[in-house]
Amino acid sequence: MSTSVSDGVALLEMRDIGKSFPGVRALEGVHLSVRAGQVHALLGENGAGKSTLIKILSGAYAKDQGQIFFEGRPVEIHSPHDAQMLGISTIYQEFNLANNLTVAENIFLGHLPRRGGIVDWKTARARSQAILDTLGATFSVDAPVSSLSIAGQQLVEIAKSLNRKTRVLIMDEPSALLGDKDLEHLFKVVHSLQAQGIGLIYISHRLKEIFEVADEVTVLKDGRYVATRNVSDVSMDELVKLMIGRDLKDVYPERRVDPGEVLLDVKGLSQPRLVRDVSFQLRAGEIVGFAGIVGSGRTELARAIFGADRHSGTMEISGKPFNPKSPIDAINRGMAFVTEDRKSQGLFLQLSVKINTTISSLKRLCRFGIIQAAKERALVLNLIRNLAIKTPSPEFQVVNMSGGNQQKVVLARWLSLGTRIFILDEPTRGVDVGSKSEIYQIMDRLTHEGAGIIMISSELPEILGMSDRIMVMRQGKLVKELSNSEASEEVIMSFCSYVSA
Amino acid sequence: MEAAIGRVPGVRSGSLRKLLGSQIIGPLAALVIAIIFFTTQSSVFLTGHNFSLILQQVMVVGTLAIGQTLVILTAGIDLSCSWIMALSSVLMTGLATRAGFDPLVAILAGVLVGMAFGVLNGWLVTAIRLPPFIVTLGVLSITSALVHLYTTETLNNLPPIMTVLGNTFNVGGTDITYGSVVMLLLYAVVWFVLRSTTAGRSVYAVGDNPEAARLAGINVNRVLLGVYATAALFYSIAGLLLVARTQVGDPNAGGAATQDNLAAITAVVLGGTSLFGGRGLILGTLIGALIVGIFRNGLQLMGVESNTQTLVTGMLILLAVAVDTLSHRNR
Repeated sequence: MSTSVSDGVALLEMRDIGKSFPGVRALEGVHLSVRAGQVHALLGENGAGKSTLIKILSGAYAKDQGQIFFEGRPVEIHSPHDAQMLGISTIYQEFNLANNLTVAENIFLGHLPRRGGIVDWKTARARSQAILDTLGATFSVDAPVSSLSIAGQQLVEIAKSLNRKTRVLIMDEPSALLGDKDLEHLFKVVHSLQAQGIGLIYISHRLKEIFEVADEVTVLKDGRYVATRNVSDVSMDELVKLMIGRDLKDVYPERRVDPGEVLLDVKGLSQPRLVRDVSFQLRAGEIVGFAGIVGSGRTELARAIFGADRHSGTMEISGKPFNPKSPIDAINRGMAFVTEDRKSQGLFLQLSVKINTTISSLKRLCRFGIIQAAKERALVLNLIRNLAIKTPSPEFQVVNMSGGNQQKVVLARWLSLGTRIFILDEPTRGVDVGSKSEIYQIMDRLTHEGAGIIMISSELPEILGMSDRIMVMRQGKLVKELSNSEASEEVIMSFCSYVSA
Repeated sequence: MEAAIGRVPGVRSGSLRKLLGSQIIGPLAALVIAIIFFTTQSSVFLTGHNFSLILQQVMVVGTLAIGQTLVILTAGIDLSCSWIMALSSVLMTGLATRAGFDPLVAILAGVLVGMAFGVLNGWLVTAIRLPPFIVTLGVLSITSALVHLYTTETLNNLPPIMTVLGNTFNVGGTDITYGSVVMLLLYAVVWFVLRSTTAGRSVYAVGDNPEAARLAGINVNRVLLGVYATAALFYSIAGLLLVARTQVGDPNAGGAATQDNLAAITAVVLGGTSLFGGRGLILGTLIGALIVGIFRNGLQLMGVESNTQTLVTGMLILLAVAVDTLSHRNR
């Protein structure tokens, strides 16, 4: 599958690209080149500049510096329309679909075929069907997009771009929300696009899949170009080193655990929609990992424990009854919940790092009802240093931060409160390898300081790397408890997806 | 914008920006431009006397706009604001003149009734989860009807204490109305509360992301209820300032009230507060109110008739909302 770096004329080449935002140099001297029929992976931590680079390519941002060549000719991309005219399409993580319209309507959105001024539905449906067939999609062209799975919607996005005669397709973390089976199908689709001579730019955090799908890889770090390699000539360890400057085996901390007293005792907890009769204990100093497929009830369980949703059953915190009516009750008893979707449920995106970190602990910072500015600033600066949060100042808007740094801001919120029970739902989703490792270190440190952590994760290496005990959930029930030593990816998977229940 | 964190930048803000927050620069620039423009159009515009007059003209709308800012910060809107003001003002004057209440008791009663309608707004928005636009539209209708049911006549011969805020004091040859000083003090208080208290932070948090606020331990409904009630307190105080300025309780302030409603919302949006919630500064609203006042005053000095003034105010608000929406789209 791999071709050498020097082969042929590049379909698309970016040379010496630079871009600044107010106060921040986002890109400097970045190169990227893609040939027809090649899958070129773009790799880098959050904040490395990947998004900025593809936004320049798709016309969302204007570059300050550098040149772009299309089939050897210099071109200027000033708008998304310019990009489209060149045949450059981008599929963002958040899809750009009209959910209430059908698959065919979406594929032809904006340029429906017409005959005598009337929409020619017959042609639109037939052509949509033909494109979907090449992608191996099994759903109907008349299905509303909202009825499709994430993987299905992704195929509609791909079909949409194929219908526009795409020559270069940029995929921003296409695998982020897919299960293993859908991922396999995605790879097949990618290879078929490649066979059609389309050049692909493939962005991912998951190193493993780069080896499965890409021919070449370009690594960015801190907005700068690091290297371009043939995938066949490079090892995973080498890529990690290029990305973060250290070894992969250091990602997970070595856990030495001596569980203390029971912090949280959950007995027969149910929740009206999904969770059925769940019982377990969390001890001081331990990390309990919750594995399961999406929809197995882990998030619902977490929300019920935190008092965010209605529930039945009994709970105790440190031996005393705990029956939360709202998150306030849980927080007052020393519990914290870091949600899986930090943007919609965790952060105040337009507000500053400072306000985001201290919002739950203002009482401690007040004297006579007035927030003491100096005390607050000291606390925030301390947390920024402690968690190595990259921000120019405490007043920086979190919307402008990378995923890993945003996640640290959410964590920081609870650290000043003396929280002892942490519920972390997908704590490293959308977080790069470097920040991941830092978040694991923080979790490890917290348990050494006497906290207990419930960690929900869909990434099995993370479950295995971090959990002292592993709970497997399926269809709202706790089906198996495993110790770390008896668990493996295969064993966990067998309980996750065991069907005959 | 994932890349925005690449490196820690050096100098990113001047001292003025630091002092006031960068969101204030736009409104401030608009204010300066408006002042320069009207100075070139009228020789009496840029005088102490005229500016004192502008402040006096602005004090009612400016005080309404404080309450409106709080509501808009939570991503709401309060269409009932000037009618709660009108109800509060006829009630306090009516109780003092017709029912023979002690003037201070009458003022208090007027303010409490005004706040009751704020609580009603807040209750409908939180407990029944109705959209603020519809809730406050209904309350607008109810309060405007109540004003006319209570009195159809202008209430005259007010006890002097009710209009004391309309009196002036002299500073260096310029007469300044007590009411305009009250308005400025209210701005200072709200500025401090929004900046340095838990309640203030909660308003921003709820406006930015109510679900995240709930999960962070904020009682979202209590914050919203408090905001609508507090806003109505400011509308009622605006009612008292209206009485002080006009020296009467006027049920036919209705036509004016509709304009004040628009003017207050215009002031908030011109001041840079986002209709999407969570972003805005109270000092921006003060600047916005001054811009609205300066336009009215300046156009008057230029001899532009009042319907045209309303037309210009309407264009101003559309312009401000367009700027807000566009800046939101580009993030």
